[in-house]
Amino acid sequence: MLQTTIILSIAAIILLLVNWRKNGKHYEGLRAGIKQMINTAPLILSAFILAGMIEVLIPKEFVQNWLSTEAGVRGIFLGTFGGMIMAMGPYASLPIVASILASGAGLGTVISIITGWCLVSLSKMPFETAFFGAKFYILKTLYSIPLSFVAGFIAHIIDITFF
Amino acid sequence: MKRSLIIMLVAAAVFIVIAYLVGGNELVLKGFNVSYNTAIKSALMLFVSFILIGQLQVLLTKEVLDTWLNKFSGIKGVIISAIAGGLFPGGPYIFYPFVASFKEKAIPFYILISFIFGKQIYDFSRIPMEMSLVNPQVTLIRYLITLPMPILAGMAVKYYNDKYINKYPSMEAGEKNAANNNNT
Repeated sequence: MLQTTIILSIAAIILLLVNWRKNGKHYEGLRAGIKQMINTAPLILSAFILAGMIEVLIPKEFVQNWLSTEAGVRGIFLGTFGGMIMAMGPYASLPIVASILASGAGLGTVISIITGWCLVSLSKMPFETAFFGAKFYILKTLYSIPLSFVAGFIAHIIDITFF
Repeated sequence: MKRSLIIMLVAAAVFIVIAYLVGGNELVLKGFNVSYNTAIKSALMLFVSFILIGQLQVLLTKEVLDTWLNKFSGIKGVIISAIAGGLFPGGPYIFYPFVASFKEKAIPFYILISFIFGKQIYDFSRIPMEMSLVNPQVTLIRYLITLPMPILAGMAVKYYNDKYINKYPSMEAGEKNAANNNNT
């Protein structure tokens, strides 16, 4: 965790310097970031509470049978559709994914949840239907579900081979 | 954002009640303890992530990405549009009207597809969040696995379009709404 924080801090400093040199908008960037943090703080905190409750509530047998590495394709299948019904933004969804990972879910399951959420989350439906039509949304969803499944399956192979 | 917060609060309240019914006060406290530890552990990382996101937002404007999209076509266009999608700042209220304007600008449909998939799969401003909230290793593996997807999606549409359709596909019902939204 410390290592990641250091890497992210270095990246932030580099971007701050780039903005300072390139357009002098580094203060604007800082303000935008802090404003976004303040705006999303209640959402992140409530997501942490929900994630904590999920983590202590998920029965170990359910994780073992349906979400763990041993669950294999079942976990990936469930993950893809789980990601699809997580109709929330990243600040709410990612802590939930973290709690599922912490409860013992396999890499394939977790990656299929994230990919499913990225591509076919139901929160995208109103926008994609309104701007591109229902046919576009249905086709995109139908083509995206196998992609999420494939991502989970590759992750599952990595999990059983390397971890 | 307000709607998401209400949903989250209701969901959290429901789960607290379930935790109470399943394991009483003890399980509820255990849940809060897990939440508190996660929040403390990721607080600094979240702060840095938001600084990074703010800097990305002012560096990569819609205008910069628009210039990139108009410049390239073919495989190069697919790759650039997927990356541009990943770099696109802002949420769905800015993103979808911007994408809907592609047709008026005569940007090919396969570029639109790789741009949408790029935004949804890559979204580079989400990397710090994903790393701090989920796990850096999982994030790295997820990005490596899904890296070709927006490019493959764009290429598949280009191939299909070139072979069978050879024109900008109709976008049906939503087209008018999108145009109206753009004008307002």
